Amino acid sequence: MAPAQPRIPADPPPGAGAVVARHLTKRFGATVAVDDVSFSLAPGTVTGFLGPNGAGKTTTLRLLLGLARPTSGEALVLGRPYAELDRPARRVGAVLESGDLHPGRSARDHLRVLAAAGGIEGRRVGEVLALVGLGAAARRPVRTFSLGMRQRLGLAAALLGEPELLVLDEPANGLDPEGVRWLRQLLRSFAAGGGTVLVSSHLLAEIAQTVDRVVILGGGRVVADAGLAELAGGGQTLEDAYLELTAGAVS
Amino acid sequence: MRSEVLKVLTTRTAAGLAAAMGGLVALAVALHAYGLPADRLATAEDQLDFLVGWGAVLGALFASLLGALSFTAEVRHGTIRPTLLVTPRRARMVLAKAVAAAGGGAVLGLTGTATAVLAGRVVLAVRGLSWALGAADLALLLGGGAAAAALWGLLGLGVGTVVRNQVPAVVGILAWVLFVEGILVDTAPGVGRLSPGALGQAMSGLRPETLLVPVVAAGLLGAYGAAALAVAVVATNRQDAP
Repeated sequence: MAPAQPRIPADPPPGAGAVVARHLTKRFGATVAVDDVSFSLAPGTVTGFLGPNGAGKTTTLRLLLGLARPTSGEALVLGRPYAELDRPARRVGAVLESGDLHPGRSARDHLRVLAAAGGIEGRRVGEVLALVGLGAAARRPVRTFSLGMRQRLGLAAALLGEPELLVLDEPANGLDPEGVRWLRQLLRSFAAGGGTVLVSSHLLAEIAQTVDRVVILGGGRVVADAGLAELAGGGQTLEDAYLELTAGAVS
Repeated sequence: MRSEVLKVLTTRTAAGLAAAMGGLVALAVALHAYGLPADRLATAEDQLDFLVGWGAVLGALFASLLGALSFTAEVRHGTIRPTLLVTPRRARMVLAKAVAAAGGGAVLGLTGTATAVLAGRVVLAVRGLSWALGAADLALLLGGGAAAAALWGLLGLGVGTVVRNQVPAVVGILAWVLFVEGILVDTAPGVGRLSPGALGQAMSGLRPETLLVPVVAAGLLGAYGAAALAVAVVATNRQDAP
């Protein structure tokens, strides 16, 4: 094995971090989607999760959230495997795809369903709908929603249980500029309150304004795990660093 | 669990299934009540088998569709992901769905048999034929129909979690109930009467000369239902979420 690049730290120490991935590997037949991925997120930080399409970002998030089983390795969320958390919706808010909504169900009913299953008081439904700006559309069926409105509804679902950790897969897709700014402020204030955020995105300029750290995947492997200041600075943008790092990862 | 009941009640699927079932039951009963010669509709047994039995048959069928859709619709629309994020333990999710499927199934079974009784009485009265079914027959038909449909809801859930894809799941259930079972019962009644549809009909007191007695049938169908749940837990545990 080639010597690790200086930007890739050693194994995260056991038990530390709001999210810990340790040697996560996921194979689908002969394809290795996630290849020995390790990283750790400190509480109170916003981490950008970057990488080209097919780099393994979504699969890694699915492994972290217990939706898929790793072939080998371990994923810990708030110190435990996700499935072993007691009332996970009150500790972790996650959105993987904005389209994960029944078209005939209203926004309010979607949240009522999740609140009932998560042991969350019904009053939170109205609160998060107002928070994401969907108060007026609460009773409309989701099939009438724009992509941006679906993203907002997904965020409302994630915030329902007042979690300590947010895991968001491309939450800025389809948001208008005002929505993007709103999202950025939401994530920053969430982290300022002690929460931890893992957010995947392709919008590097936006990420550069929002996150403290970035973890970059390429070809299923971690190609960078560093503070934003270490990657972008001295005349180099995050985009420059990203393209340089991921170009090397494609075999 | 409340969440699963809310899921059923907050879309139009369940109401659509109930309406389709009610319509089909009324149609099947009316067609047979008009079409059959009077001497085939004279005894209580004939009226059970050829008329009101349709309520039990279709009630169980639609209950299994409700059970299957409770999983396949979540796969189709992707809502299975948020569902599993909130309830990551597969066994808990399956049990919550089982309660909703069995409860919804029982309502469909009761509605189906009650609709059949109503339609049968009306059409027989129009034709001037006498109603031969007593209170005990009706109690068994409605109670057995509801209980059998509840268990069929569990069987449908089992099929849905294994097949996952909505169209093959629904087509598979329809093919089994409408063709395979009928052929089995007619050509090899010794085996056919152990099939889930025949057990469901037996629970409503249909075709007592061919099928098992209701209590035995209920026990066996209950065992099938429990097996279906075990299969659902294993299937959802082994496979990654879609």
